[in-house]
Amino acid sequence: MSTFQLDAQAKVIVQGATGRMGRRHAELMKQYGTNIVGGIAGASARRDDSGIPLFDNCHDAMAATDAQVTITLVPPMDVLAAVTEALDAGIKLIVSPSEGMPVRDALMACGRAREHGATWIGPSTPGLAIPNRMKLGFIPDVSLSPGPLGVMSKSGTLSYEVCFRLTRRGIGQSAWIGVGGDPVKGLRFAELLPYFQNDTNTRAVLVLGEIGGSEEEELAAEMARLSFSKPVFVLLAGASAPEGVTMGHAGALVQGGRGTILSKTAALQAAGAHVFTSIESLVHGVVSSDV
Amino acid sequence: MLLLEHDAKELVRSRGIPVPAGIFVDSAFVDDMQLEGVGSWVVKAQVRAGGRGKAGGVGFAASTHEVADFIRAHANTSIKGQAVAGFRVERKIAFMREVYLSFLVDPVQRGIRVLLSAQGGMDVEEHAQQQDAMLTTIAAPDEVSLVAAASALLPRLPSELHQPLAAAIASLAAAFIAFDATLLEVNPLFVLADGTWIAGDMKLALDENSLLRQPELERVIRSRPEVYREANFKLDHDFDYVEIDRNGQIGLLTTGAGLSMMLIDEMLQADRRPFNFCDVRTGLLRGSPTRLIEVLKQFTQGPNISVVLVNIFAGITDLGEFAQLLLQALDAVPEITVPIVARLIGNNFEAAKTLIEQTGRPITVEMDLDQALKLAIAQAGVSA
Repeated sequence: MSTFQLDAQAKVIVQGATGRMGRRHAELMKQYGTNIVGGIAGASARRDDSGIPLFDNCHDAMAATDAQVTITLVPPMDVLAAVTEALDAGIKLIVSPSEGMPVRDALMACGRAREHGATWIGPSTPGLAIPNRMKLGFIPDVSLSPGPLGVMSKSGTLSYEVCFRLTRRGIGQSAWIGVGGDPVKGLRFAELLPYFQNDTNTRAVLVLGEIGGSEEEELAAEMARLSFSKPVFVLLAGASAPEGVTMGHAGALVQGGRGTILSKTAALQAAGAHVFTSIESLVHGVVSSDV
Repeated sequence: MLLLEHDAKELVRSRGIPVPAGIFVDSAFVDDMQLEGVGSWVVKAQVRAGGRGKAGGVGFAASTHEVADFIRAHANTSIKGQAVAGFRVERKIAFMREVYLSFLVDPVQRGIRVLLSAQGGMDVEEHAQQQDAMLTTIAAPDEVSLVAAASALLPRLPSELHQPLAAAIASLAAAFIAFDATLLEVNPLFVLADGTWIAGDMKLALDENSLLRQPELERVIRSRPEVYREANFKLDHDFDYVEIDRNGQIGLLTTGAGLSMMLIDEMLQADRRPFNFCDVRTGLLRGSPTRLIEVLKQFTQGPNISVVLVNIFAGITDLGEFAQLLLQALDAVPEITVPIVARLIGNNFEAAKTLIEQTGRPITVEMDLDQALKLAIAQAGVSA
C-alpha cells in the first residue's frame, strides 16, 4: 500500500455517476468544492443533465481528464470490479463507500491496490474530507469546519455527531478520513498516522474507534513506533456489546475475549492517548485541552 | 456469521467433506428419536460458540437410552450465555490422532491465515503456547494460494500425517473459498488408522455480505429463525436490528451503527437498560414508513419499555418528510403509547417539530442529543 496523501485540488472521477446515489452525491461533492472532472456510466445510463462529462470506463476518463482520485458509488457486489478498473487505469487513490461488500472481495481489492502501489479506502465508509475545500463521500456539511483535528473514524454517524458538537464549540478538522466499519479494509488507523504526523495543519488527532478487531491496538503500537508527538483523543464505542453479538458493523465483534474495550483502552493509554467512553466526556476533554 | 456445528457439517458434507454420520435432535422430540444401529454415540449440544466440551455440552453414550438421557438433562440449558438450540448425535469415531487445522480471514495481514498443529483436541489452546506447536502462514484469498500455503507447512509434521492432511487441506480450502467463509476450524480433525481423515468438530463462519452469491447460506438462515434471528431480520427488512435485553426500558429507533452503539453504552453507564440496537438508515427509507413500523412492532414485545428514543442525524434526509413517516408509523402501531423523545437534526427541523407537536402525541422534539438522552434516561423505569 502506498503512503496516503490527500490533495484538495486533486482531479476526481465518480464511478457509478448516474445511479440514484451517484447523481445526488456527485452534485453535492461538486457544490462543496471537490474538483470533479468526470463520471463513469454505461451508455444506456447516459443522460444529458448529469452536469459532468461522462465516460464509458476509467481508462477513457483518465485519458481525457488525467484524474488522480476516484470514488466508487456502485452496489456492494460491484465494488471489486470498479476498484480493479480504476487501478488498471492508473488511479492511485480510490474511495469505496458501499456497505455490504463481500469480505473476500475486500481482501482481493487490498491485494490489487498493493500491487499497483495505490491507496484504497473503504468499504463501508462515509468517505473523507478536507473542510471547506473538498469531500469525497457523504460527510454532512454541518459537521465539517476547518480546524486542528485530524479525524479518523470507523463509524460514520458517531463521527458526524462528535464533530458536529466540536464544530459548535469552535473546534474543526484539518482532514477527516472514514476508514469504515468492516473488518477487512483498505486503510487502517495505524496506516493513517504518518500522514497526520507530517501534516502541519493537524495539531491533534481524534480517533473514533469501536470494539472488535485489533486496529486500536495497532494504532497504539504505531504511536509508540513513530514517537507520535501530537495529542491523540480516542472515543471507543461498544463497551457494552455482549460477546459474539454484532451490532451493525461487522468489524465490531468481540470474540474469544479479544477486541475488548479493556484491551484497547490499556494499549492506547500506555501509548499516551486520552481515551473516553462517552461523547460528552470526549468533547469536554478536547475542548479543555490546548489544541 | 457463525453457524451451528450441525448446519456447518451438513453444508460441507454436500461438497464431499467427510464428517461423522449424524442427525439433529430437537429436545422436544427426543422420544421420537431414531438412531440407526448399535454402538457408541457422541451427543453435542448445539450453540453458536466454542468450548462446548469444557462447558459440559458434549457427552458420550453407549445406547439410545443414554443419548436420550443426556439430551433431557441438557435441554433448555445455556452454554456461554446461549440457549441450546438442539443436539447433534453422531457416531463415535475410532481415530489414530487428533489434529488441528483452521483457515480464517486475517484483516491485519489482509489474507487468509492458516493454523495447523499435529496436536488437536480440547486442549489445543494450551498446546499452542508451546514453541512451534502451532504452525501458521498467510495465503492470498484464492483456492490455489491457500492450498499451496497450507501444504507448505506439512513437511514440519510427522510423515504419517502428510497424506491425510494433504487431502484435508485440498477439500477444506475449496470449501472455504466456495462458501465465502471467514472461518473454518476443524478441531479435532481425526486421522484414522487407514490414512483417511474425518472432521470431528467444526466451526464455520460465513460472510453475510456474500448472501447474494451464496443461496445455501440463505437456506441455512431461513431453516432456523430462532437461532439465526438477526440474520433473518436482515434478510426480511434489509437493515440491522438486535434485541439486547427483553426487559429493557428504552426502545431505540435510531440510525447509524456506531452512534447507536454509543447511545447504548451511555444508557448503561447511567444504569438504564436499553431494549435493542438498530440502524434503520434513514437514507434508504425512500418515502416509506416500513422500516420504522418494523422497529415499533418489535417494541410491542418489550414489557418494560417506558420510553422510545428516536435519533436521526440527517445529512440529506428532509426532517419534515421523516416526521411524516414517523407519524404514519406510529398510526400503524397503536400499541406504542409510551412517551417518545425524538432527537432530530438536519434540514427542516422547525417544520418537523411543528408537524409532530401539532398532533398532541406525547413526543418531545429535541435538537440536542445529550439533552434527548437525559430526557429518555429520566423517563426510563417510570411505569408505563
